[in-house]
Amino acid sequence: MLKQIHKALASNAQLSLGFASMLMFGIATVTPASADIKIGFQAPLTGPSATDGKSAQIAATMAVEDINAAGGVLGQKIELVTYDDQAKSDQAIFTANKLIGEDGVKLVVNGSYSASGRAAAPVFQKAGVVMISAYGVHPDITRAGDYMFRLVHLGPPQGAATALYVGKTLGIKKISTITMDNDYGQATMDGFLETSAKYGIEVLNKYSYSLKDRQFGSIVASVKRDNPDAVYATGYFFTAGPLVAQLRAAGITVPIIGSQAFDSEKFVEIAGPAAEGTYIMDSFDRDRKDESLQKFFAEFKSRAGYSPEGVAAVTYSAVKLMADGIKRANSADPEKVRDALAATKDFPMLEGNLNGFNSLHEILMPISVNVIKDSKFTPVGVITDLAAFAPPEK
Amino acid sequence: MYYIDLAVTGIGFGCMYAMMSVGLTLVYGLLRILHVAHAAVFALGAYVTVLIANATSSIALGFVASIIVTPLFGMAIYRLLYEPLLKYRPDVPMIASVGLLVLMQDAFRIIFGEQGVTFRRNAFAFTTFNFAGVTVSAVQIAIVITATVVFLGLHIFTTRTRIGIGWRATVSRPQIAASFGIDPIKVRYLSFAIGSALAAAAGGLVALMNNLVDPGIGSVVSYKALAIIVLGGLGSVRGTFIASLVLGLVEAYGTIFIGGWLDRDAIAFLALIVLLMLRPQGFTGPRTA
Repeated sequence: MLKQIHKALASNAQLSLGFASMLMFGIATVTPASADIKIGFQAPLTGPSATDGKSAQIAATMAVEDINAAGGVLGQKIELVTYDDQAKSDQAIFTANKLIGEDGVKLVVNGSYSASGRAAAPVFQKAGVVMISAYGVHPDITRAGDYMFRLVHLGPPQGAATALYVGKTLGIKKISTITMDNDYGQATMDGFLETSAKYGIEVLNKYSYSLKDRQFGSIVASVKRDNPDAVYATGYFFTAGPLVAQLRAAGITVPIIGSQAFDSEKFVEIAGPAAEGTYIMDSFDRDRKDESLQKFFAEFKSRAGYSPEGVAAVTYSAVKLMADGIKRANSADPEKVRDALAATKDFPMLEGNLNGFNSLHEILMPISVNVIKDSKFTPVGVITDLAAFAPPEK
Repeated sequence: MYYIDLAVTGIGFGCMYAMMSVGLTLVYGLLRILHVAHAAVFALGAYVTVLIANATSSIALGFVASIIVTPLFGMAIYRLLYEPLLKYRPDVPMIASVGLLVLMQDAFRIIFGEQGVTFRRNAFAFTTFNFAGVTVSAVQIAIVITATVVFLGLHIFTTRTRIGIGWRATVSRPQIAASFGIDPIKVRYLSFAIGSALAAAAGGLVALMNNLVDPGIGSVVSYKALAIIVLGGLGSVRGTFIASLVLGLVEAYGTIFIGGWLDRDAIAFLALIVLLMLRPQGFTGPRTA
C-alpha cells in the first residue's frame, strides 16, 4: 500500500504540494505559538452597578494595552478574559467556574463589588487561581485563602481611619452616622463605630438606608433633630448625591464626611452646590504630580466620557500589579505569582505607593482625604499612621 | 417639630406614590391586567423631563414634553403589547409586561448611560422653606399640590363630565355602556393616557427631588405600586390615594423607629401584610373607578 502512495505522490506534483502544505499546517496548529497569558476579569457590566463596572472595564483594558505596548510580560502578550457578573453572587460563581473550566485561566482580577468577590473567592482559592480584588471591601474575600489579594483598604480600616481623622484632625465630638446597608457600607461603618470612642467621638444616632433609596426625608429630619457637630455617611455616589443634597437643603450646615465610594465627579454633579465642603475618606488623589497618573487621567476621560475615579484607578493598578507579579515570579504559574505578589514591596499604584501586603494579603498604604472645594476634589490630608488602621493579620 | 417634619415627609412620599400608582389601578380596573411595565412609563417620564429641561433650559418645558410624550408610550404599550394578548388569561399580558419592564430598564441603561442623568440647573432641589421650625422643600410642596389637583380633577372628571361618566360606566358595565354608544376602545386609550401622564408627572417630580435619574429609577415603583393598589382595593382610585398616603406615612415614621433592623421596603411590606390581614379587600374593596 505504501508503495502505491509513493507512486501516486511522485507522479502527481499537485498532490504532493497539497500534502506537504497540509502537513505543515497541521504541525503549525498543534505547536503552540508564543501563547498569550490570560488574565480573567469579572466586572458588573450590566445591572445597577454597571457604572462602576464600565469604569473598571475601561481601566483594565487600558492596563492590558499599556502592558502589551511595552512588550508584554516575559515576552508574551496579556489577554483579558472578561465576564459580566452583574455584581451578584450567583453570577460571580458562575463566571468564576467558566473562567476556570472553559478558559483555563489561572490569574484573575475581580473588578466588582464585595458580594461578587466574596462569592468568587472560595471558588478560585479551591482551584488554586490567584485573585486580586480591585475594590471589593468585604473581609471574607482575603479570608478565603492565600491565593487572594485585595488592592483596596478594607471597610473597617477605612472606618477606623475616618474615626481618627474626624476625632483628631477635625476635632468633632458629636456625630450622627448614616449607613448604607450593604456589605461595603456596613463594614466601613463598623470600623468607624468600633474606634470612635478612642478618639472621643460620641455617636448620637445611627441611621441606615438601602442601596435603592434616593429619598432620605426621615433620616434628614432626624439628623436635624440630633443637631450633631458633623455627619458621617457611607454610600455610593448615586445615594450620596441625593443624600448630601437633601441634608443641605434641610438647613444642615455641619461638615459631612463621606466614605470612599462618594469619590466621583457624578457625586458633585448630582449634589451641585450642596457638595461643597464634603470630606471624602480614602479618596483618590487626582492632583499627584505623577506622569503615569496624568496620562491615565487624560486617556480614560477620552474613552469613557467622564473622569476616572478610585474604581478605575485601582482596577488599572490591579492588572498592572498582576503583570508585575508574573514578571517577578518569572512565570505565569499561579503558585509562583502568588508568592511574588505576597512579597511586593513599594509598588507604584496610580493612587500612590503601595508599601506591601500584610500576612492576610491586605494592603499597607496611607489613606488620603479629599474635600470638595469649588466643585473640585482637593487633597486635604493623608493619614500615615498605618498602625491606627492596620488591617487584620492572618 | 420633628414629628411634623416626619409627617410632611410621609405625605410627600404618599402623594408621589399616589401619582405613580393611579395608572396601575386604572388599567387593572378596566382590563384586569397588572401593568407592571407602568414602572418603565414612570422612568421614561423622568428621563424625558430631565433631557428636555437640559436641552431647553426650562424645567417647565421638560414637564410639558414629558406629559405629552409619555402617554403616547403608555398607549402604545396597550396597543402593541396588551391588545393582542387580551384573549388569553390575565397572567399572559402580565408576563409580557414584566418582560417589557426588564427590557426598558436595560434600554435606558444603554441609551442614557449607567451613571444616569441630572438636571443642569435645578434650583428646586435645593430650595426649602421654613415654617416655624418645620422644613418643607419646594419639590415636596409641588408634589402635594399636584397630587391634590390631580385627584380632585379626576374626581370631578369622573362625576361631572360626560366623558368621565361614560368612562366609569365602561369600567363597571362594559356591554351596557357600549350599547349606550360609548366606545370601549377609546376608554381604554384614555385610561392608559391619563395613568401614564400622571406617572410621567411623578417621574419628573422625583427627578427634581433627587436631581438624578438612573436606569433603575422605576424598580421601586414596579413592586411598590402593585402593593399599593392591592391595599387600596384593586381598581379603586380613591383607595389608591388613601393607601399611598398610609404607606408614605408608615415609611416616614417606620424608618426612624425600626429602620435599624428593617429596610424601608421591608417596613412598607410588613405594614401591607398586616393591613391586608385586617382588611383583605383593601381600603375600599375592589371597585371600578
